[in-house]
Amino acid sequence: MAEKLIGADIAPPDLHAKITGRARYAEDFRAPGMVFAKLLLSPMPNARVVNVDASRALAMPGVIDILRASEVPAREGPREASLTDTPRYEGEPILAVAAVDEETAAAAIEEIEIDFEPLPFVLDPLESLRPGGPNAYAEGNQFSGQDGWSEFKWTAEDFARIDAGEMPDPECPVEWSKGDDLDAAFAESALVLEETIVHQSLTHHPMEPRSNMAYWEGDRLYAFVSTQSTQQTKFALAGALEMDPENITFISEFCGGGFGSKIAGSTVMQIPAFFSRKIGRPVMLRITRYEENYIGRARPGFQTWLKMGFLEDGKCNAIDLLIVQESGPYGASDFNTAGMIADLTYTPASMRFRAVPMYTNTPPKAAQRGPGGAQIISMMEPILEKAARELGVDRFQAHMMNAPGPDVSFGPRGTTLTSVHAREALEMGYEMFDWESKLAMSGQRDGSKVTGIGIGLSPYTAGSRGRDGLLLIRPDGRLYVHQGIGNLGTHSIADTARPAAEILGYNWEDVVIVWGDSSQGLPRSTVQAGSQTTHAHTRANHAAGMDALRKVQAIAAATLGGNAGAYTPDNGRVRGPGGSMTMAQVAQRAIAMGGEYDGHVLPEDIHAQTVPAAQGLAGEGLMGIARDNYGGEGSIYSWVAGFAVVELDEETGMVDLKEYVGITDCGTVLHPRSLGAQVLGGSIQGMGMAMTQRWVFDPKWGVPFANRLYTARPPGMLDVPLDLKWGAVGIPDPQTPVGAKGIGEPPVGAGAAALTCAIADAMGGRCVCRTPLTPDIILSELEGRGPAFGRLDQHVG
Amino acid sequence: MAKIRDMIPAFELYQPTTVEGAMDLLDQHRDEAWVLAGGLDSFDWFKDRIKRPSAVIDLGAIPEMNGIREVENGLEIGAMTSLTDIVRHERIRSEYSIVADAAEHVATPQIRNQGTIGGNVAQDTRCWYYRSGWPCYRAGGNTCYASAPQAMNREHCIMGRSRCVAVNPSDTAPALIAVDAKMIVESATSTNVYDAEDFFIGPSIDITRMTVMKSRDLLTRIQIPAIWANADFYFEKVRDRGSWDFQLVSVAAAFRRTGDTIDEARIAVNGVAPFPVRLEAAERIVAGTSGDEATARAAGEAAIEGARALRHNDYKIPMMRNLVTRAVRSVA
Amino acid sequence: MELWRRADNPWGESVLIGVSWDLMWAAVVLSGLFLVGHAIWHRMRPAEEHDNASTSAAGIPERIERHTLPARVFHWTMSVAMLVLLITAFVPVMGLQFPWVELHWMAGVLLIATIVYHIIHAVGWQDFWSMFQLGIGEGIAHLKHIASAKAPAPPKAGKYPFDHRLYHHVIVVVSMAAMVTGVLMMMRIQTPFWEPNPYLFNDSMWGVMYVVHGLSGVSLILLIASHIYFALRPEKRWITWSMVRGWIDREHYLAHFDPSKWDVKDGAPGAPEGGLADSSVSAPRED
Repeated sequence: MAEKLIGADIAPPDLHAKITGRARYAEDFRAPGMVFAKLLLSPMPNARVVNVDASRALAMPGVIDILRASEVPAREGPREASLTDTPRYEGEPILAVAAVDEETAAAAIEEIEIDFEPLPFVLDPLESLRPGGPNAYAEGNQFSGQDGWSEFKWTAEDFARIDAGEMPDPECPVEWSKGDDLDAAFAESALVLEETIVHQSLTHHPMEPRSNMAYWEGDRLYAFVSTQSTQQTKFALAGALEMDPENITFISEFCGGGFGSKIAGSTVMQIPAFFSRKIGRPVMLRITRYEENYIGRARPGFQTWLKMGFLEDGKCNAIDLLIVQESGPYGASDFNTAGMIADLTYTPASMRFRAVPMYTNTPPKAAQRGPGGAQIISMMEPILEKAARELGVDRFQAHMMNAPGPDVSFGPRGTTLTSVHAREALEMGYEMFDWESKLAMSGQRDGSKVTGIGIGLSPYTAGSRGRDGLLLIRPDGRLYVHQGIGNLGTHSIADTARPAAEILGYNWEDVVIVWGDSSQGLPRSTVQAGSQTTHAHTRANHAAGMDALRKVQAIAAATLGGNAGAYTPDNGRVRGPGGSMTMAQVAQRAIAMGGEYDGHVLPEDIHAQTVPAAQGLAGEGLMGIARDNYGGEGSIYSWVAGFAVVELDEETGMVDLKEYVGITDCGTVLHPRSLGAQVLGGSIQGMGMAMTQRWVFDPKWGVPFANRLYTARPPGMLDVPLDLKWGAVGIPDPQTPVGAKGIGEPPVGAGAAALTCAIADAMGGRCVCRTPLTPDIILSELEGRGPAFGRLDQHVG
Repeated sequence: MAKIRDMIPAFELYQPTTVEGAMDLLDQHRDEAWVLAGGLDSFDWFKDRIKRPSAVIDLGAIPEMNGIREVENGLEIGAMTSLTDIVRHERIRSEYSIVADAAEHVATPQIRNQGTIGGNVAQDTRCWYYRSGWPCYRAGGNTCYASAPQAMNREHCIMGRSRCVAVNPSDTAPALIAVDAKMIVESATSTNVYDAEDFFIGPSIDITRMTVMKSRDLLTRIQIPAIWANADFYFEKVRDRGSWDFQLVSVAAAFRRTGDTIDEARIAVNGVAPFPVRLEAAERIVAGTSGDEATARAAGEAAIEGARALRHNDYKIPMMRNLVTRAVRSVA
Repeated sequence: MELWRRADNPWGESVLIGVSWDLMWAAVVLSGLFLVGHAIWHRMRPAEEHDNASTSAAGIPERIERHTLPARVFHWTMSVAMLVLLITAFVPVMGLQFPWVELHWMAGVLLIATIVYHIIHAVGWQDFWSMFQLGIGEGIAHLKHIASAKAPAPPKAGKYPFDHRLYHHVIVVVSMAAMVTGVLMMMRIQTPFWEPNPYLFNDSMWGVMYVVHGLSGVSLILLIASHIYFALRPEKRWITWSMVRGWIDREHYLAHFDPSKWDVKDGAPGAPEGGLADSSVSAPRED
């Protein structure tokens, strides 16, 4: 097809509203009679509510009612309820109060007399692994659906080795390996490096907290939610409320960021729905920054032992990786991805992966942009570069030789990839960054400032298959692409519609994106997460576009005569041997023809969740509707290679990023400007993870600090050079019709690793082996004063 | 009583248009009054519902407190002058560049537009134990949570502690000390002029205040004497993040020279004590020298005399030493 | 008036953090009322006659040593420590602010050192038990005499009259309470001895300690104020001077003491080698 839309910079349709402030986020909605709810949060990291007296609060003028944990569904095991009387972290919502305004609701919360019984708590998973150490739950520290709770401890001998600074060899609930003989692989290695590495846990802090509003009209729920996804979140909400999804009108037009913390909404979105059902009035729950810090999810921290063996030429030959994951009270699975990505990125001949996810009494964990991958890449890349340095191998070449080729097979099940152009990304970065001249700068001094350079190569999953596309050509001649995905701010809501518009020859101004309101008919989609969307929904919309094209051609042929295949739509008309007709006429004709043309007859293979949406639109125009049946083999991964130059001030420990280049392999470039924002935005997020952002807990009280944006310190635009550079390999993925893969996740690891490597380079190859690398940590290391924390301490920032 | 954050309770807002009017209100409301300048410290307290004044006196409508005036023997800066105005003021930039430099290191452009010089010097500490509403000494309780053996005290002090180990967060404070600024504090009954270093007090004197100002006092003006105009200045702030961050340690230094010889130096450091610390011992070492490397190092070592680390802030000792060394080295 | 100060700990639990400063003001007011009341009462009461004729002066020296030099050094050192403690504790609360914490704990350490010295001295070199005789009958007689000038004068005392002994016991209890809690509270602040640790005890225990320390402190306002008052009263100055000079004259001895209980004749067994804990009880006695 003639590509006038794919690869062009086109402003998405929601941009104007965002810039002018007219965009309506969940908390901007109002409804007649709406009241405001406020939450009472647990002040303790692990406790039991023993008494609540809300009589004074309920007697206050303007206070409507209270919602208790007993009025929402309880959850068994380590699963989260929207309200609880057994909080497992400081900040967990205990109850909600509704009042005519927020100030009254807040004042009412203060009038509630509530007594808690504090319970033993654990912040550091290693403490819970110690014999006799505390558990996050009274019932134990491990849970399986089959066997329930149990207590899992390492032995005193394991801890004797840990305390002696050695890699332990403990029992682990998660273990897989590949290759024949790990010991032999290490034995034949020219260099074996063994490191203890700590990666911090840190909060998501999206700009928009997870506020939401809900009201009922009879059995119909109207829910206004801050979420990354739309269609999937509606079904998640229906599941939580145990109701028919078709009785929910779900509104989520804009989302001010989620980074994985709002994939299918959030637990707290249930509260207005339950509360509104109880009191019969619309309930708005505005979540504040303070509350968001607790309930807004966090990236799990890792305490890791890593042993890597390298051949003389710098090729990684063996990896032994052991991760203890701080999982919070409700679990997380980052460790799984971390193991996979370690194998994929370094392609060792032999590898053993072990992991211990541990429940802790810290705020809940969830996927955070590149979950598992970002952590492991920022931790392992400096070790690879250290090995290259020690073996006398050029670091760029070390990355190149370890990066996988198209024949890669990794992980316990020998996963393959649809395409991989990591080496091409590295090569493109080599040129754009000018590695040779930068290498000459490495170690150069200007007074107390030393230059360091580093590379971070970061992969992550970037797609999925089998979703539905749904579009209409209405009698106004315009193309309406119905998107079940959410409007996360990545532009994918519009960009993934481009293939359909392209196929149907539309100019972009005649394309209407329908999103964010389930009453308009939204098809089954992926969750807006895992960087699936670009891949999955360019495919789904491509499929729907092809279905529409077939119908347009058939209608044109039937109307104008000739062979259907000879008709081509372009610029609002379809032309062929019999002449031309407008798309508006095509739509009118489709309605007249009915059947599959206007959606009265639907394909049999579409998802059951798409059917009601399509049925609701039937008869309104020509319907393009199809499931993504393009198939494919292997996993879909994208890559970013980050190259950084830093200047480290040895007298202050401050690191100044001087230059950064991020090159991606994410297949076909759909929208260059947006892609650049993703590559650089994600990289900056990674730099924050590695350098500035932090989250600390007071060990005595078990409560987190750095609860505000100014103390959590995510980086902003003033914290990086203005001329960060990016590029894209641009080689289409052969297994997807548009060739595009997702890009949201991998830049985080690349940005973080490029910095951790560059800092190690500036320190003469010394690896501090923990994040964040704040000035105190660097200066203490440089001054030889010894760290102010234990080697494996978590939550010290 | 359950606690809740991020919701400002109601208060009476007063917006006087004269200094006298403001002082009358302060006199009238006494301990119930809260002086509001840019609001960047105040609103944090209010929305956390920890400080709950009944009367908030907004100084924003008092013209005489806003602006920079040339006065005999120097400059006078109204306490309500925005940091942005200070950064952009031509004479400050040219003759007292250290003040503009320090002001420019405050947070972000938006915060500098809103924040005032008076608010910047009078702001409360950012110790997160204190600002979490915990009953620490500074909050009227009987515990310093930040100095407990396992406390998170990376940002806290290495000197000047007395039960409390918080640090002063102001960027402009050390610069004002370096130029020997005078702080004019007025109340309904008196007008007092303090040297900048005496304006700040430590917890040993009053653990609940950071400055000499009590409930009826108002910082109205700051005077910068001409004697330090066009001196050699040095300001540096080490922070975790390049913007929107308080200092870990900052240094401000002014040197008056004849030829290559330093006649007089004023050096102040912040982020190391509950108050900005003037380093008179280091100043004495520097005076009469050219600021050569040996002198710079000696000054750095003198600066950290008596410094004592908490569990997580040992790094501040070399950081302070190095910053003072660099400040002196800058004139050589 | 509030009695206690409470605060919510970081977990939102209400805990005691000390006594209300209202109690300090109450102690100051009570001290004033007591002093004024006593002065008025004393002025209105008929002058007392002392029987110093019934005792033979034979063998009694002109100057009778009451407090040895070590005892006097102890008394005045301890007095300085106590006054510094009281001033540093309460004057900043009253509004005059100065760096008081270091002075306070240093004075506390000094006080403890003097008390340790005093105990060793009293046990090893003084008639330790003379301070610890109960003398209930003596006490009742004193009370009756205070209540009515017509009641017979209480019997003459040994070296330590009943009121001195009573004051000593009270101040021992109060001071010990202040000192024990004070030492523990020192664990929470920076001193050269140790790094501070506020978590040595739980919040409730600390709360009790602060309350005990506070109550002791405000009690000491009353005790020390009355002590100084009596020391300065004209009719008591002879005994106050004994804490300066070390001796009393024969006339006061004969008027106020029973030689059978305090034998000061040259060479008498148990003749005084100096004052005991009267360092802290040098004045109050109703003549």
